Amino acid sequence: MRTGHFKENPGQLVALSDSRVVWTWFAGMLCVMVLAPFLIGNYGLTLVVSSLIAIIGAVALNMLTGQTGLISLGQAGFLAVGAYSNALLLTDYHWPVWLTLPASGLIAALISLLVGIPSLRLKGLYLAITTLAFSFIISHVILYAEGVTHGPNGVFVKGATIFGYDVQKGVPLYYLVLGLTVATILAALNISRTRIGRAWMAIRDHDIAARVMGIDLVRYKLLAFAISSFFVGIAGALMSLQLRFVNVDVFALILSIEALAIIILGGLGSIAGAVLGAIFLSFLPETLRLFFSMFADEKSALFTDYVYEIRGAAYGVVIVLFLRFKPEGLIGVWKDARKYWSNWPLAY
Amino acid sequence: MDFLMLLISTGLVSGAAYGLIAMGFALVYKSTGVVNFAQGEIVMLTAYIAFSIANGLHLSFVPLVLVTIPISMLIGLVLERIFIRPMLGEPVFAIVMATVGLAVILRSATIMIWGSEPFNFTAGMSTAVIKLGGIPFYPAQLYLMAALGMVVLAIWLFLRFSRYGIAMRAVAANETAALLTGVSVNQVHALAWMLSSGIAAVAGLLFAANFKLAPDIWFQGLKSFPAVILGGMDSVTGAALGGLIIGLIENLSQGYIGEGMREIAGFIVIILVLMIRPYGLFGSRDIERV
Repeated sequence: MRTGHFKENPGQLVALSDSRVVWTWFAGMLCVMVLAPFLIGNYGLTLVVSSLIAIIGAVALNMLTGQTGLISLGQAGFLAVGAYSNALLLTDYHWPVWLTLPASGLIAALISLLVGIPSLRLKGLYLAITTLAFSFIISHVILYAEGVTHGPNGVFVKGATIFGYDVQKGVPLYYLVLGLTVATILAALNISRTRIGRAWMAIRDHDIAARVMGIDLVRYKLLAFAISSFFVGIAGALMSLQLRFVNVDVFALILSIEALAIIILGGLGSIAGAVLGAIFLSFLPETLRLFFSMFADEKSALFTDYVYEIRGAAYGVVIVLFLRFKPEGLIGVWKDARKYWSNWPLAY
Repeated sequence: MDFLMLLISTGLVSGAAYGLIAMGFALVYKSTGVVNFAQGEIVMLTAYIAFSIANGLHLSFVPLVLVTIPISMLIGLVLERIFIRPMLGEPVFAIVMATVGLAVILRSATIMIWGSEPFNFTAGMSTAVIKLGGIPFYPAQLYLMAALGMVVLAIWLFLRFSRYGIAMRAVAANETAALLTGVSVNQVHALAWMLSSGIAAVAGLLFAANFKLAPDIWFQGLKSFPAVILGGMDSVTGAALGGLIIGLIENLSQGYIGEGMREIAGFIVIILVLMIRPYGLFGSRDIERV
């Protein structure tokens, strides 16, 4: 608790941060991230790129589920839409990549409006089931619209260059993803302090009260779907760039569960939490691999045989443990630690 | 005409499987207010357990069912105690997410124990084709439909006449009032999980006997959602009827509309039902909406 620290006008209340220390840390972090390709090897860089893409997806889902309170089990569907839009526009229509990335976001946003309309009357579990249904329908459409999507054959993604750099691998991909991640986080932080973000939180906390206060539920719920899916679509597009090949199997239900696990783990409704959760969960499989490789050959063979199962089980365990013991998520752990640090030796 | 009859008969068979799984969903939702996303995984787990029992003890069908059901009820009780009971009093969203986590854990555990290769599993039934009114059936298909009928009857009698069934309906109607009249809500919740796991065992055993025992049976749980939604989330017998209807719709649309419709017809039904009549055919009308 800082003393002698007063907020004197509304502008200070909604400022991202009025603490010089926070901004310094942020700038330092950004410097490290920019220099990262020179510090870690290729394998490390691939991992970091995956976790940055996970951050974009998680921050986007957090807008819908954490801030507006609309539970979505359809994340995989929107990722698929983004990835396929990007892959097809690049490969079949030869659009430049700086145009296909926003286009995939826009296409995902448009389709999310389609999902959003029947969902307007529903909330809670019913909405979760509807979004689940939509994500199955999306992958079915992709599978059977062979004329456009190549159906079960999938699409090889190639020809993504910006200023002559191949942005599908290594350092150029890293910088592209890093830039978009920072942009997404800043956008999310800024949206949550505008009228839109406050309306979303009002809808989450009490929709009827929000409506009485003059918030147009239809408009803001659809806006939540559209904005969230725009960024999810971009995350999907980046996935297609990194993977270089997309087919329907990549976007299975486990991806939606992973996304929800990330934001629960991080702390629902918190953007910093979504970032922390995404980092934690994308490095979890790697940590597990290292953990198993410490044992004798038998156990590491077990790991290579059942890598997906162990990963899935780890997600499940993480979800259950956090819901049970720390519903505020990692961000809650961080806040507790900070409070303990600043109040020590007093309890509070 | 033959084509239509064949579609209808296979539709009813797969519909019976949906109906059984959906009844498990509805039973838990009715008494605890939680959608159990792990129902499909419990179906898969119990099917594999039945497979191991059948291989180990060489039982024929009826004894196998009689052994499997108590074991799966015990599993349901343990799962409720470990994963759901400690969450009591948390928001519904948190409990539902815990069942999602439980689902992933069970799915992985099943594959790690029994491997990912599918097995042929006859459950002690013959595979000779029986003709009923000119339509060929496998015995397993007839058993599946008969099982649906018997489970519906048993559950209806249980909810209507037994002391615990009445307690369960009381909890469903008003949890606090039930608590005040001396009903142990905890016991009712545990009982709901036990019964729905028991039904899941019947569904899993017969589904595996009809198709294959493979680690993708869990997906039948998700495919049974349309049945629960159509029947009404809190109507157990409605879920059974919803299952039969969904089975018919899936097969008829596959036959007459186009390839692959079987996979998504149910999900389209979900969206339509939720838009037009969110409480389903037999559910109570207090569904949340804005």
